[in-house]
Amino acid sequence: MNWNLIGHAWAVDLLRRHVANGEARHAYLFSGPPGLGRRTLAVHLAQALNCTNPPAPGEFCGQCRDCRQIAAMQHPDMAVVQAENEGGTLKVDQVRAVQHSLSLKPYQSKYRVALFLRFQEANDNAANALLKTLEEAPAHAILLLTADTPESLLPTIISRCEILRLRPLRVEEVESMLTDKGVDPERARLLAHISGGRPGYANRLLEDSSLLETRAERLNDLQALLQSTRVKKFSYADKLSKDKDGMRQAITFWLSYWRDVLLKASHASVTITNVDYSAEIESLASRLTLPAVRRTVSDLELALDRMDRNVNPRLLAEVLLMDWPK
Amino acid sequence: MKVIVLQENLARGLSIVSRAVSPRSTLPVLSNILIASDEGRLRLSATNLELGITCWIPARIEQEGSTTVPSRTLSDLINTLPADQVQLILDTQTQSLHVQGGTSNNDIKCIDAQEFPPLPVPDMDGAVQVNVADFKEMIQQVTFAASTDEARPVLMGVLVTVEKDQITMAAADGFRLAVRKATLSNAMPSPISAIIPARALNELARVAGDGEESIYMVMPKGRGQVLFRVKDVEVVSQLIDGTFPDYHQIIPRNYKSRTLVSTNAMLKACKQAEIFAREGSNVARLDIKPAQSDMQPSEVEISATSEETGRNETIVEATVDGGGMLIAFNVKFLREALEAVKTPNVAMETSGPNAPGVIRPVGNDDYIQVIMPMHLG
Repeated sequence: MNWNLIGHAWAVDLLRRHVANGEARHAYLFSGPPGLGRRTLAVHLAQALNCTNPPAPGEFCGQCRDCRQIAAMQHPDMAVVQAENEGGTLKVDQVRAVQHSLSLKPYQSKYRVALFLRFQEANDNAANALLKTLEEAPAHAILLLTADTPESLLPTIISRCEILRLRPLRVEEVESMLTDKGVDPERARLLAHISGGRPGYANRLLEDSSLLETRAERLNDLQALLQSTRVKKFSYADKLSKDKDGMRQAITFWLSYWRDVLLKASHASVTITNVDYSAEIESLASRLTLPAVRRTVSDLELALDRMDRNVNPRLLAEVLLMDWPK
Repeated sequence: MKVIVLQENLARGLSIVSRAVSPRSTLPVLSNILIASDEGRLRLSATNLELGITCWIPARIEQEGSTTVPSRTLSDLINTLPADQVQLILDTQTQSLHVQGGTSNNDIKCIDAQEFPPLPVPDMDGAVQVNVADFKEMIQQVTFAASTDEARPVLMGVLVTVEKDQITMAAADGFRLAVRKATLSNAMPSPISAIIPARALNELARVAGDGEESIYMVMPKGRGQVLFRVKDVEVVSQLIDGTFPDYHQIIPRNYKSRTLVSTNAMLKACKQAEIFAREGSNVARLDIKPAQSDMQPSEVEISATSEETGRNETIVEATVDGGGMLIAFNVKFLREALEAVKTPNVAMETSGPNAPGVIRPVGNDDYIQVIMPMHLG
């Protein structure tokens, strides 16, 4: 049994041993790109900690009241803290409210679990407010944090947690997960590639077909934009900057596309993500020089970072599109 | 479920339990009140996972059952119904509760009772039994001294200890301490020590009512909870986890000056001083003056000054035993301390302007308060 998870066997193995031997740490940090299963792993850990009827030490049944409540994130001893929306801010008041509940003994289970999702979105005040609890958590409290990378958190936070760096799975693993679900092999292969080894993201692509459509639209826009005039680029930038979430998403899609171009341009043997655009990517890679592609990739990364810092989105989009190689 | 209750009983029950409802919770079921038939009565329960209140009201049960009803909707509705019989009928399929009172017919959407967090079913054997009036007085004399600062959760609670036939409550916020003892009618076999949130005790005092009944207190093993039962109400609270500071060390063992004053006169003087002191940092100065000769009275002069409001000075007659002293206290703390004292006279013991002051009711050794002094400025 792998806690019903796809991949991350080493992490599950480690956590299972911690739970079984009663040496669970007071704080864990699950890091990795979104859609990898960080939250799922954290929730399963909470279930393993609080299951009233574990089939084996370190396992959970998934059937008992506690397991079901935790899976539904409706457990009285589990607090889930996250920013209101993705890209938002996790505020200090939310941390304080959890600290208060952690100071009380558990309501019905062995442990009180506090789950902090996307903790990189916590502002400095919130992160600092959590430090004391992270350092001296009550004996019955377990804190679980998820974040994109440990480096995006304060060093004082990281040093107080046991860090589990989750890595993307092999594309084949995600592919077989999808075919097991009854997805036809061709589609499964495409989705697995696009997901980049992130099972959660693959599932989202599967359930939400509009996501795939948006992706196709954005990537087609990208190709069109490469050839278009300055006027067209400006009007596109204006349109794009109207919706910040959409813009963030578009940049993420473009980033994965340019990453593929970079891989091809450098003649790396790694398989590319956007397999359905491999012809276009090949031709682009052969046309451009490696430094030019690399600059575009780092520009896109920088743009994502600047979006979080409240840079004027229209200016940002304009600069981004103008700087693209012809 | 089919139940018939009197409107006034239901309204009273709802007003008791609704204090434990948490309207903005991540668990939607917590903004609901559990209603369930229970051995010929109707049970109402609410919990915010920290504090839970259950109340049983008389009812005619025609069909057993249970559900959870949104608190605001039900309370507001019942309060507007005529003082007559109210009929509650639950459709288990749709989880919709039909409420009929007078000519008014209502259907409320409910959440399945299975989702409601289970409240402990206590074994009342070995419960600590205290008279309601005594227990309420203990609570009122102690909880105000508890901290409201989230940073130190332990101090937001009241340490309750039972040893043999002695029950003690203690609360402190870092600037003041209140300790109240009482004697139980029968000795407990094993000692108890727990930190109960001050808020839970205040709610208990509110719902306990007046009368000659007893409060029963139990702590089910291994659940980290305390449960109080009075008549037909139960209050459950999560305990605060941690170690309460050893307050015995804070209580001074001796004093240099002991001042006896009338509680009321001193309280009045403090209230007057507070009018001026509240603008600044709440400082009131106490000038304790022993009698110069046999013929002159001894007295305490309470004064407060504020840059903007002005100044105040009140002289209270006193019996001073020991030397004179000039000491400053936070007047809000001093007033609250005096308000909690029930005896006509109160003794203040001081050892110096930098040493904590002790306040004791005269003729009652069960209650002691300690207040830290402030800078004389």
